[in-house]
Amino acid sequence: MTTADLDSDVAEVLLSEERIQARVAELGAQISLDYAGHPLTLVSVLKGSLPFMADLMRSLSVPVRIDLMEVSSYGGATTESSGLVRILKDLSSSIEGEDVLIVEDIIDTGLTLNYLVRYLRGKRPASLRICTLLDKPARRLVEIDVEYTGFTIPDQFVVGYGLDYGELYRNLRYVGVLKPEVYANAG
Amino acid sequence: VTIERAPGEARERPAFAHASEAEMARILDFYDVRWEYEPTTFPILWNLEGDVVESFAPDFFLPDLGLYLELTTLKQRLVRKKNRKLRRLRELYPDIRVKLFYARDFRAIMLKYGKLALVDSLSGTLGQVTPEREPGEADTSGAVVAAPAADPPAPAASVGPPATSAAHSTTSPEEAIAAR
Repeated sequence: MTTADLDSDVAEVLLSEERIQARVAELGAQISLDYAGHPLTLVSVLKGSLPFMADLMRSLSVPVRIDLMEVSSYGGATTESSGLVRILKDLSSSIEGEDVLIVEDIIDTGLTLNYLVRYLRGKRPASLRICTLLDKPARRLVEIDVEYTGFTIPDQFVVGYGLDYGELYRNLRYVGVLKPEVYANAG
Repeated sequence: VTIERAPGEARERPAFAHASEAEMARILDFYDVRWEYEPTTFPILWNLEGDVVESFAPDFFLPDLGLYLELTTLKQRLVRKKNRKLRRLRELYPDIRVKLFYARDFRAIMLKYGKLALVDSLSGTLGQVTPEREPGEADTSGAVVAAPAADPPAPAASVGPPATSAAHSTTSPEEAIAAR
């Protein structure tokens, strides 16, 4: 399978590479302005936000420290055994007293982010804000204050630029709508 | 690292009317979101005698979020009645927040969590659990026979305002089924 095969599974390019890069640059400029003179810790939530994190951090002009977290998702391998979210990868160092920006790929229900925010607040950062590339408000269950949003998107299943279906499509350079037939018969 | 619930926080499982509700409860549990199952029945229609003739009991209340959540796995063309009840609920109780999760929403969530096969088995009426009918609780015509609200409106009004926003009533089994 090649990326051309992955491309053929995409019904529509929602956000082109150029559009994403332009918006990431805008976000970077705004965040740099807001945090001018303050070192910033970016916390990326694996795995989907990796490309966004990589591009965003390089667009910032303030000193940046990065950290990575990964939490289990409902329906994953750990669901049946524990029934609770598991933190698969915790922060590498303390964020106490630091200005922290959570970097997310997409917010839909807000359940994962709500959990993460509560968890990170417990680590007593000086401030905690959220930056997401994509926001899908139609699915929102938990209202969360999001400081920086790249794009508000319609209620469609999207892949690419870090977003996956079955762990594939993350390396597409754009965000596209997956053809329904790709997942129609999936279990 | 597993975030444990505080001792005593383990939840007893209510008798869910639909398997999709049980699945949603598991999702909420997974993300440590507190929920209550059908804690409130809102009267939404009264007859001339002031008796409640129609009510709406959202499936979940999420107390930390101040949000009621109603699920339906009926196909879109079959949810007209539920949409109407929801509109009525919002008219009468403008201060409450209620979100209706349609079949397509539930399907999208299950797709996200890789459980599409499960949602296919739950769609429509296949996931329904027919409630036991109490003797005399409801007739066979599907008419709603709800208990009066705690403080029903004046009998002269056919469509009266709610007596209190916290009024409780009993929903018939037929209504419980029809509303899903």
